[in-house]
Amino acid sequence: MLRQLCRKMFGRSLWVYHANSGGCNGCDIEVLNALTPYYDAERFGIKLVGSPRHADVMLCQGPAMRSTARALRRAYEAMPAPKLVFAIGSCACGGGVWHDSYAVLGPVEKIVPVDFYIPGCPPRPEAILYGVALALGLVDKKIVPAEVRAEVLPVPKYHPEDLRREEEVTVYTKAEKF
Amino acid sequence: MKAREKERTLRERFGAAIRRTDVTSPGRWCLYVAPEAIREVCRFVFREMDARYVISVGMDDRPYSGRFLVSHNFAFDRDGILAAFLAELPPDRPEIPSIAGEVPAAGWAEREFRDLVGIEPKGHPYPKRLVLPDGWPDGVHPLRKDHAWNEVPEDWDDEVTFRFDDPPEGCTVVPFGPFHPTLDEPAHFRLYVEGETVRGCEYRGFMVHRGIEKLAESVMSYNDIPMLAERICGICGCVHNVAYAQAVESAAGIQPPPRAEYIRTVMLELERLHSHLLWVGLACHILGFDTLFMQAFRIREPLMWIAEKISGNRKTYSLCLVGGVRWEITPPLAAELRGILDRLEKEWNEVAQAVGRDRNIQRRTRGVGMADARLVKELGLLGPVARAAGVDIDCRRDHPYAAYDRVEFDVVVELDGDVWSRVLVRVREVFESIRIIRQCLEKMEPGPIQTPIDEELLPGRIGLSSVEAPRGESHHFVVTGENNRPRRWRVRAPTYQNLQGVPAMIRDQTLADMTIALGSIDPCFSCTDRLETVDLRTGLVKVWSQAELEQLVRARKSH
Repeated sequence: MLRQLCRKMFGRSLWVYHANSGGCNGCDIEVLNALTPYYDAERFGIKLVGSPRHADVMLCQGPAMRSTARALRRAYEAMPAPKLVFAIGSCACGGGVWHDSYAVLGPVEKIVPVDFYIPGCPPRPEAILYGVALALGLVDKKIVPAEVRAEVLPVPKYHPEDLRREEEVTVYTKAEKF
Repeated sequence: MKAREKERTLRERFGAAIRRTDVTSPGRWCLYVAPEAIREVCRFVFREMDARYVISVGMDDRPYSGRFLVSHNFAFDRDGILAAFLAELPPDRPEIPSIAGEVPAAGWAEREFRDLVGIEPKGHPYPKRLVLPDGWPDGVHPLRKDHAWNEVPEDWDDEVTFRFDDPPEGCTVVPFGPFHPTLDEPAHFRLYVEGETVRGCEYRGFMVHRGIEKLAESVMSYNDIPMLAERICGICGCVHNVAYAQAVESAAGIQPPPRAEYIRTVMLELERLHSHLLWVGLACHILGFDTLFMQAFRIREPLMWIAEKISGNRKTYSLCLVGGVRWEITPPLAAELRGILDRLEKEWNEVAQAVGRDRNIQRRTRGVGMADARLVKELGLLGPVARAAGVDIDCRRDHPYAAYDRVEFDVVVELDGDVWSRVLVRVREVFESIRIIRQCLEKMEPGPIQTPIDEELLPGRIGLSSVEAPRGESHHFVVTGENNRPRRWRVRAPTYQNLQGVPAMIRDQTLADMTIALGSIDPCFSCTDRLETVDLRTGLVKVWSQAELEQLVRARKSH
């Protein structure tokens, strides 16, 4: 449904706006890379625009930060409907390494509704192009949704004192987190 | 002046105020100074011994020594010395005389430890909040050891907005950001303009403050942190990665094997190449020369591919562990790298000529965004900004690390201090980087790439490390600790200092020149903000993005 909507509404002209809500720049540069000669996103009608008011698509990079949440929400509201949101990179998809830090809220879906996820740290330009092409209905999805049960893994502490030998097996002591 | 003489001069001058001097490793000093004398010591070191200000670090050391610590770091570039001037403060009244009056470059760093650690710089000329988000309550300091890394105060208030200062009379305020069409990263500026002329600005940044230093001190381990350090910045990540590993090695007295040092050098220079190419491309883009922007990115792409072949990733290389590196440069990879460098050199020659001959670029950049040697000294500006002003500093030569003492290269210096000089410095540094990589590939001997570390690293040791990033010196300060992780890790990225120079660079210039003046320092907010969210002021931010330019243009039209 979404794909048909995309095809109908956006055709061969997808204007994207990229909002970095607090990431490290890596994804920004890869997005920029996707526009340059080797990858050339413009052949799909994709154009980077400077204002959310001109855009069909928002590319979110970086985790949702406490400091920029309000601004990100306002940028999303400024886009005319129909609109799509892409979360680009591990931080935007899941919060990244700092997902639970005091200054970070988590993945951007906590602030704006996300339609497509492009993981990677940073994702390659090819991956970004593939994601956008998927949204446009130019290619097929390569993965299917699966139920994943979150496992709690103990964080091993690689410290000689914490390694105990138990009958030929080395046992890590579970680390206290703080 | 030799190192010993310097130390004797300080002792003679200040007597008992210098309580102790430790030489933690060659060229790394820790001087413990009485807190009441710290201002005078720093003034003397900065003004009369001509040291370069590096950074100030605040530490909550209460669980270990029962005190707060403040460290003002200075560099003696001609003698290859990095010195930390440490003051111990009582736990109940963490106050220290501010040195920002004597050393203007310390302005931000002191505001940062006031926010994050709650150490009060007494007599600071502008003690406004710098780093923490707007809604963060006063009196809660996330870098104190009794504050958990994921703890958000209950009285956190979403609705609080930043309070800007009043603009000067007769000026119009032009707001930018935080999401601006092509501000690559979030930051907010309020420019005060009078007609076409920028009279000043207020900057509210530190929106990318992710709490990285706190995470490192509370949940990561020594060998996890290089991964985290790399994600401080997506462009110069490897620099932070190497600088952190070197800081820990300097604290713990570990010597990485020679081959690892060569590999570090090669990867650092690869990163400098791709970063400088990126910058030249973006600078041309800001100036409206899009053909060269596309050319620069085309030339740069093979560098990303070879980086991926060596390390498995285009950007974040995961290069270092403490005591070595992970990735080997095999003979086939070395041969391929040589081929790429040959082609790059040829193509970059053409670009350099195109830039040099282009009158538009020269007219847009000559005499714009001036930073002279005096400003460089006062605000501690770094890297190509300093070298373009005739200040001959380069950590690769002044504080040799990795294999830089075994290769030959020139430090590129220009004299004019304008944006054009910065373009020239970066364009020519590309050739020096190519030269360095070739020598490394030549001189690398086969051997191990990791030093075995069998024993626990001793806690409480201080390590200092400076690495020349594409934008200037990245400085890391590490205090080793228990539980296989450091007690304190402080990162000073070059943009942290360079950003403070931007207001002076753009003052009384036209609005249209502002973007390139900002762009010319190659700003990197994620590096600057790494620690926490803060609000800044007084500073100006420079961003190189198209969006900002467009914004500026729009702002002018509507004027």
